[in-house]
Amino acid sequence: MNPAAGLAYACNARVLGPAALRAARLYAERQARGGAGRSPHLAPPLRIAPRCKEMVARHWLEGRHAQGVRKVAWVTSGAPVEFLTALGFYLLYPENHAAICGTARVAVDLATAAEEAGYSRDLCSYVRTDLGSLFSGRTPVGRLPRPDLLLACTNICQTVLFWYRVLAEHFGVPLVIVDTPFVYGEEAPPHALQYVGTQIDEAVAVAEKVAGRALSAQSFERVATRSRRATELWLEILQRNRHMPAPISAFDQFVLMAPIVELRGQAATVDLYAAMLREVDERIRRGMASVREEKYRVLWDNLPIWYRLRAVAELLAERRIAVVASTYTNAWGELAPYLDPARPRESMIRAYTYPILNRGTGHKLHIMQGMIDDYHLDGVILHSDRSCKPYSLGQMDQRERLSGSLKRPALLLEADHNDMRCYADEQAATRLAAFAEMLEAQR
Amino acid sequence: MGALPAIAPRAEVIRHHRQQGGQVAAVLPVYAPRALLRAYGFLPVEVWGPPGVRTSDGASHLQPYVCSIVRNALSFLLSGGLDSTDLILVPHACDSLQGLGSILLDFVKPRQPVVPLYFPRSDGAGAQGFLAEELRRLATRMGEITSRAPAADEILQYVVDEETGDRLLLELHEARRQLPLTNADFYRLIRSREYLPREAFETAARQALTMRQPDAAPARTLLLSGVVPEPTSLMAALDERQVQIVADDTLCGRRRVCPPGRSSDPFERLSQSWLGGPPDSTRGSSLAARSNYLVSRVKASGARGVVFHMVKFCEPELFYLPSLRKALQREGVPSVVLEVDLNDALSQQVLTRLDALLEMIP
Amino acid sequence: MTGISALGIDVGSATVKVVGVDDAGALCWDALEPAQARAEVQIARMVEDARRACDTLGGGKVALIATGCGRGLVHQAVREVTEITCHARGVFREVGHGGTLVDVGGQDSKVIAIDPGGAVTDFAMNDKCAAGTGRFLENAARHLGVPLESLGRVALEAREEVRISSTCTVFAESEIVSLLAHGVAVEPIVRGIHRALILRLVAMIRSVGLVAPLMLSGGVVCNPAISDLLAAETGQKVVLPRHPQLMGAYGAALIALEAR
Repeated sequence: MNPAAGLAYACNARVLGPAALRAARLYAERQARGGAGRSPHLAPPLRIAPRCKEMVARHWLEGRHAQGVRKVAWVTSGAPVEFLTALGFYLLYPENHAAICGTARVAVDLATAAEEAGYSRDLCSYVRTDLGSLFSGRTPVGRLPRPDLLLACTNICQTVLFWYRVLAEHFGVPLVIVDTPFVYGEEAPPHALQYVGTQIDEAVAVAEKVAGRALSAQSFERVATRSRRATELWLEILQRNRHMPAPISAFDQFVLMAPIVELRGQAATVDLYAAMLREVDERIRRGMASVREEKYRVLWDNLPIWYRLRAVAELLAERRIAVVASTYTNAWGELAPYLDPARPRESMIRAYTYPILNRGTGHKLHIMQGMIDDYHLDGVILHSDRSCKPYSLGQMDQRERLSGSLKRPALLLEADHNDMRCYADEQAATRLAAFAEMLEAQR
Repeated sequence: MGALPAIAPRAEVIRHHRQQGGQVAAVLPVYAPRALLRAYGFLPVEVWGPPGVRTSDGASHLQPYVCSIVRNALSFLLSGGLDSTDLILVPHACDSLQGLGSILLDFVKPRQPVVPLYFPRSDGAGAQGFLAEELRRLATRMGEITSRAPAADEILQYVVDEETGDRLLLELHEARRQLPLTNADFYRLIRSREYLPREAFETAARQALTMRQPDAAPARTLLLSGVVPEPTSLMAALDERQVQIVADDTLCGRRRVCPPGRSSDPFERLSQSWLGGPPDSTRGSSLAARSNYLVSRVKASGARGVVFHMVKFCEPELFYLPSLRKALQREGVPSVVLEVDLNDALSQQVLTRLDALLEMIP
Repeated sequence: MTGISALGIDVGSATVKVVGVDDAGALCWDALEPAQARAEVQIARMVEDARRACDTLGGGKVALIATGCGRGLVHQAVREVTEITCHARGVFREVGHGGTLVDVGGQDSKVIAIDPGGAVTDFAMNDKCAAGTGRFLENAARHLGVPLESLGRVALEAREEVRISSTCTVFAESEIVSLLAHGVAVEPIVRGIHRALILRLVAMIRSVGLVAPLMLSGGVVCNPAISDLLAAETGQKVVLPRHPQLMGAYGAALIALEAR
């Protein structure tokens, strides 16, 4: 390790940076208490929101100085990462980075660089954002550390496979693929689970080589325990929304989910979500609702529209519609039961084979039907995300069954999670208004 | 130009097979386990589209940003196009085929059994065993459907036989320059492998190979890369311009002509064969492997330019495009990208791009 | 006056151009008309006019090469050559060097990489959607009530600029209507529309790779804002040939001359 880099890391990532971020958080908390950014229809964000933001910012800040100091792994959102954390890797999620760019509305600008390099606009907008950032060197988080290792798990889509092939070519570093066979039916067959297991073993071996040390069973168990605990807490937070009115909204969840995705195995993540759960319970006690006059409760299917979170939330809240659940945020909670820290390898095989995106369209319908019951929902918004085929294909049939046999209005909203050019404000507003009218007509 | 050996049309082949009491399996892209299907009495008939289908049927299940290969396949099924089949095999070659397989199983539920087949994307040690087991399970499923129970060595014989068919197919590809066939006829011949029983294909292939001449290729030659060489009027347009496609890199063509396996277990053997095939986007091969392969094909065939024939929305192909084009640029080989939808007639825009490429070849 | 030794015709979607060149390849005769619905009739008449000019100028029967999207309708031509090759040829001859040519037509736009010897090495075309073409400006002009001829001047004189985020012409129209309804002035919108067009062109330029100098051709280039904004956006000097609209026909004529 380069001593200068180590010193810069220690100063910036461990002392000065965090101090600045802490100051920013205190300021934000004070602003929030003072009523800044209040909306007439929406409850203010959770008090813990600035702390969550600070945690995420610290993570990216650390990334700016991590190169040459810590081993860095770029990983997909569904990848088994617990062993990487246990080996001391700094984890970077290009998807999260892309989402930050989307939320900050700089994604199109970055994607243009990828498109100019020949990447079609018909490819996933996360990829175009990420590759565009790579090719242009621009990022809103300052600087991204080069990876020492790439880990792509196909349990969310095949797109990541190609994306990480491009990254491997660009960086010239080892790429580990954990290919999880798609589960068309009720269960993954034994040979599929065995195949996943073999790949996880290979992944661990490569990671150990890159890290220059062996994976300690103790560290692994510790990380896996934290991962499980954080996942359980996250699930509990989501399930508190069964309460009527719902204390937080899915839009709040979209923002607050960053740590469960990218900081899952850390102790601070467990603490954060424990504190968040306490605050959510407090809201329930006080009868505080995410939408002040909640009348209709709906489910959001698919990724968020990152560059229009607030706008869509407001539009719906004005019509007293609260988005209280989403299959997307649920994906990081529903697999909690699979995680057994005492049997980490077996846990990982199942937990990473069974995410909702690796399962059939009938299964997703079943999950949505369950959520409609559990969360007492009146309707569903299916974001038909042109960038995400695994999530979007099947929505038309799901919509038909939800609105048909379940008699719940189900809106198919065509957009894209990161590419603003695929979203027309007027047309989307019209559709959401029509959906609201359908809900209103029901009761 | 020489005359193409007689090739029975698809409908006739299917009818004949059914008359003999056989069953028909509709197989979607990319890798078709013909040997296994034949072993259980199925005639494998591949479904690449087909082009020119009324897509309003599929439009109620699939969003517009799904490629026309998948949208057409579903529309074809829903409008009765697959009524003469007894099994629908949906390999997992991409996210869209994943969605199609799942929608068929969970929502459309056609009369025929729908059987998915997952293709491993990792290049590690477990891939071969996994694929062999997937194929074994496919065989089990077909046993349930047909009540047949061919022995392992019987199945092996089918695998070995199909390898012979593939060897002839490869020979046709490699002998392209020496065959005095129009582009249209050459593609009709090689694509007949998608539905002809192996024996019939071998007859046609051998007949064609007897037509070999020292070098029958014109001055302007191209390599065609992409999914399917459709619309077929593209072939006619090239023939009109006296341009020959001397090397094929399409998914339905040369890209999936795999070398023979080695094992005496039929499933291991087929798995070895497929995993040993040319670098392919749908298998997630590395960028370098694809680029090196493409450049070597250009050099070996003497192709003067490359046409990337992209079906709109085809992610696997679109991802590799930039690095492939760059590799060709480094070699001084001009290339052009054509974007097509299987239901569009050959457009002025496509022809203009094609002509512009031809004008770049001195 | 020298005789016409070769002819080129460019049948575009918005205009039809015919050019005659002399023995030395200099442009010595031209005609330009808005495209008419009965294209074959118009083509026949324009070719007839060109042939009469050949006789008058002492050129005799000369070869004609056709280019443009309607080139297939010109049965009088000995050959068809794409607008890619023709534009490159015409511009290269006129300015005397290679570089990156941006041609902005009524319904399509293209970027062509021309090497120092005048050969086309790569190109990108936008012929599927109106964004990045003259049609985009036309539609906007209609909504904004600005005459097409004044559009460029209004854009250049605007002191402010509003961002048009839509790349789709139809969505952009919605956006314009919305902006006007919110009381935004016409001038900043006009400038914003031009910016959107330029950005679309820049994306195409970068996908081919910008090799200086940047050259412009096509009818839309008559709009003064296009070259100004393009130069500003790319930081490159923009070279305009003397007859920006005739480059396709000129190139076709030069190719006909060579083939003699």
